[in-house]
Amino acid sequence: MRVKRYIRKGVPFEHRARVWMGVSGAQAQMERNPGYYHQLLQGERNNSLEEAIRTDMNRTFPDNVKFRRSADPCLQKTLYNVLLAYGHHNQGVGYCQGMNFIAGYLILITKNEEESFWLLDALVGRILPDYYSPEMLGLKTDQEVLGELVRTKLPAVAALMDGHGVLWTLVVSRWFICLFVDILPVETVLRIWDCLFNEGSKIIFRVALTLIKQHQAFILEATSFADICEKFKEITKGSFVTECHTFMQKIFSEPGSLPMTTITRLRESCRAKLLVQG
Amino acid sequence: MGNGTEEDYNFVFKVVLIGESGVGKTNLLSRFTRNEFSHDSRTTIGVEFSTRTVMLGTAAVKAQIWDTAGLERYRAITSAYYRGAVGALLVFDLTKHHTYAVVERWLKELYDHAEATIVVMLVGNKSDLTQAREVPSDEARMFAENNGLLFLETSALDSTNVELAFETVLKEIFAKVSKQRQNSTRTNAITLGSAQAGQEPGPGEKRACCISL
Repeated sequence: MRVKRYIRKGVPFEHRARVWMGVSGAQAQMERNPGYYHQLLQGERNNSLEEAIRTDMNRTFPDNVKFRRSADPCLQKTLYNVLLAYGHHNQGVGYCQGMNFIAGYLILITKNEEESFWLLDALVGRILPDYYSPEMLGLKTDQEVLGELVRTKLPAVAALMDGHGVLWTLVVSRWFICLFVDILPVETVLRIWDCLFNEGSKIIFRVALTLIKQHQAFILEATSFADICEKFKEITKGSFVTECHTFMQKIFSEPGSLPMTTITRLRESCRAKLLVQG
Repeated sequence: MGNGTEEDYNFVFKVVLIGESGVGKTNLLSRFTRNEFSHDSRTTIGVEFSTRTVMLGTAAVKAQIWDTAGLERYRAITSAYYRGAVGALLVFDLTKHHTYAVVERWLKELYDHAEATIVVMLVGNKSDLTQAREVPSDEARMFAENNGLLFLETSALDSTNVELAFETVLKEIFAKVSKQRQNSTRTNAITLGSAQAGQEPGPGEKRACCISL
């Protein structure tokens, strides 16, 4: 309980890698499997996997000097290795766009290729329920779960979305797929990830609900489909999200009670509905 | 074709950009809507859209252009994006044959989810990279003709044909809509120009001017 409180207050930058490795179980996995990461890199070649990853190399944080092709040392090689190893390790997932941004952040924080791999495994393999596999069923499910939570907690917003036929996937898919990378300010994302590694995927709903609730009146001004999409982009900007300390306090108070049993129940019913729809 | 103001328009046409990852969809869109090109634009995740209002004759047409992620598995969530689309640019990279080889699969995907009357243009992008060409123009043009598609080669980098590509698709849609209007004035079955500023119907709704071509 004490750990949780400390982590919610923000992990100091210099301890972040160690804390993430510890609380997520990545450290334990790494110690149980010495040499495994390097074996993966020597694994049998998979052309389509390599091509898919290569296509995104220049398209991952192009504004960050360390990720430029010309940088020395160049993090593109590190990024490529982490993603390739992960594709070999979890063949059911392989590579999915979005993982490049997540791995990029992990590399910047840990400054260590192998640790980044194990943290990526903690996220994709355990913490996030099936977001990146070819059917993306876990992602589709969680988008619907968010829709249901909004319907209960912020019915006016749900009614607006329904009225204009805006599907949740249109406005929030990037939130889930990139775990707020490139959507919220860096420091805010890192604070969210502190809790994500420690408390699990529920935190994503807390962030999403807080963003929507805080800007409810603003969203409700929208009068068209395009307007709504635009508002959802706007609400991830400004001082509300930049002041990460206040923001993190808000995510634990604004959305109100959000028991895991509710999330689990909603995930089950939304998933069943999606499977029926095919 | 000139720029109209954003608020004033008679029609909204939803156009989707589809094709493999890395063929240049996002840059085609930014070239057309903002006259911008970026060598290292970011991987598109999910869907993005931009608009530009253009004049076709005396009518102001607002093009609402949707840009989608190209990676195959994203089709699991992008199929909804086709709904209500009246035009599509199916883009391949003419320096990468494998992006052209899968065009047929993209067409099927499109026809499975969009209206059968959708106006489709096959676009071979990156025509500035002449040395690296892997797809002959004639081959792609032939494929387009045989499948009833419009065809152009573009370069989002040096702007070649970008304006023309979008313009051609929009004009073709407009021609279909105008014909539809003439045919339906007597029966009054179809209300055109219903998309007034501030009451733009969502693409999910049945919008006569856009859907019943």
